[in-house]
Amino acid sequence: MTARSPRLLIVDDELHVRESLSAWFTEDGYDVSTASGGKEALAVLGRQKFDVVITDIRMPGMDGIELQRHIHETEPEIAIILVTAYASVSTAVEALKEGAYDYLVKPFDPEEMSRVVEKACEKVHLREENVSLKERINGSRPEMIVGTSRAMQRVLDLVDSVAPTEATVLIRGESGTGKELVARQIHARGPRSFGPMVAVNCGALPEGVLESELFGHEKGSFTGATALRKGKLELADGGTLFLDEIGEISPRVQVDLLRALEDKKIIRVGGTQEVPVDFRVVCATNRDLEEAIREGSFREDLYYRINVFQINLPPLRERPEDILPIAEHFLKKFAHSMGRRVEKFSPEARDLLLKYPWPGNVRELANAVERALVVCHEGEILPKYLPIIARSTSAAFGGPSDDLSLQAIEHQHILKVLEMSEFNVTHAAKSLGIDRVTLYNKMRKYSIERP
Amino acid sequence: MRDPWCVELVRIGAVLPVMLRVLREDLAGVLAHPVWIAPEHVDPAPAFDPSRQQYLVSALMETLLAKPREAGVFIIGVTDVDLFLPVFTHVFGTAQLGGPVGVASEYRLRPEHSGDPSDAGLLRRRLLKEVLHELGHTLGLVHCKASWCAMSPSRLPEQIDLKDAAFCSACAKHTGVPDNSLVSIHSWEGEKK
Repeated sequence: MTARSPRLLIVDDELHVRESLSAWFTEDGYDVSTASGGKEALAVLGRQKFDVVITDIRMPGMDGIELQRHIHETEPEIAIILVTAYASVSTAVEALKEGAYDYLVKPFDPEEMSRVVEKACEKVHLREENVSLKERINGSRPEMIVGTSRAMQRVLDLVDSVAPTEATVLIRGESGTGKELVARQIHARGPRSFGPMVAVNCGALPEGVLESELFGHEKGSFTGATALRKGKLELADGGTLFLDEIGEISPRVQVDLLRALEDKKIIRVGGTQEVPVDFRVVCATNRDLEEAIREGSFREDLYYRINVFQINLPPLRERPEDILPIAEHFLKKFAHSMGRRVEKFSPEARDLLLKYPWPGNVRELANAVERALVVCHEGEILPKYLPIIARSTSAAFGGPSDDLSLQAIEHQHILKVLEMSEFNVTHAAKSLGIDRVTLYNKMRKYSIERP
Repeated sequence: MRDPWCVELVRIGAVLPVMLRVLREDLAGVLAHPVWIAPEHVDPAPAFDPSRQQYLVSALMETLLAKPREAGVFIIGVTDVDLFLPVFTHVFGTAQLGGPVGVASEYRLRPEHSGDPSDAGLLRRRLLKEVLHELGHTLGLVHCKASWCAMSPSRLPEQIDLKDAAFCSACAKHTGVPDNSLVSIHSWEGEKK
């Protein structure tokens, strides 16, 4: 069963039955509501979702069998257990024929009662899981991470080691490096992969909206809150919660979030009741959180709570050998979705892709490839279809810079070649056409150190 | 932090006084909070239901609730009679969730009730766990998923035997009781030898 308490509705015209069963199942950890008759039960069912309904058969007005018919018309997935003080085989047979989950006779054996309700909840949960599995099989598999560089292989190794655990993960990296993709991989390969993966971009929302988005709100808690709304933390129950741009949230929401992460309970905005939540947390940021702590804009205790296991995503310029495989991956993907027959980049276009520093990282590369594909009329992508890149690379080889002195260009060029060869000095010296000693001297001159 | 609290055991019916004294000692050891035995004795007769030949536990709870009581005192009635609630065939005990009163019975915990030979040691352990369980409810605990925790639900006496006479760390923390979970396992194992 998921960590969310199963919801139970007890329908009986006798107060002592409602009270006894309600107390019994509340102690058992169920979320229990009661109704004194069929009509009231239908009203309660209209407001809240339930997993199991336990109803008396003989009640004044609408009886249990009729209530069951009404419930099955609108919510056939609810398991209904019928009870009565008047045991009669014929009523039991009628109830079961009409789709009741089970039938119990008062007074109940506590062991049998608990077992029947437990099994009914399990059945409802299995059915929900089945639906969610089918949805997953029908699509929504996370996109694979492309990259053969040593840096990216290390990231994939880290994902492999941390995914099967329940550990909280903090993914750091510049904008566009694919932090959400890594989070989705962690979820997909983790123990909660059958649960939901809920992503929230904390940086995109103002404080009040973010609070309601994360924690949900009760009906009438503020103007416009016309209905109860579950927050993302509740929706992530049983799965993974991905908090993107965690460094951008306000100090007040940081306090609430820390409390939710520590207690595994939330209180909806405008509410008083604690709702238990159970999810794995994956956070991402491109901010220097340590600096933010020193400035006082990020709580240290929240930092330690989310920074259990860290994965640093290297920017694309630090792993140039990944540029072409990623570009080719996107070319194939977009060509397929657009129904175009463009299969490769021309050698000049490939050169151009390699020379550009990609400040917007993989996202910028994906956009450039998509745009090129839209305007391309040939069977391959030519440099003229990559106009933005072509302009910036010709302006200053190695990236945008105000310093156009020969020394600055040499510094940048050496750095770039070293990065391309993953700081293998022998290979870099060979590419630069100088010997290793000269390269070492130049590295010392420009204070270039191995990472 | 929870305010200081203590437990008062009330003898209901013919439960042996020595059983109550042993229970008091056992409980005080587990809880590290004061536990005492009330001087008065409660007669369960008014709670007897002739049609079911059992005692209505809610009636006994009302009797205990009517007792004068100081704040921070949790009252647990301990009895030897068979308890029931109208909707259930029987109960081992019951308690107000977060309230001051609970009742536990040794009747169905006796090994001979399930056809086994009488065993005073086993009954002592079962009763301690059942009282601890009902006390946990009065302290606001619901059933625990940890199978070894005294707050895990038991519908059969044999299920009680599988639990420890202690709260798990989370339940102990909630109630302000020392975390005895490991100590308890060892002490019971020692006793079995």
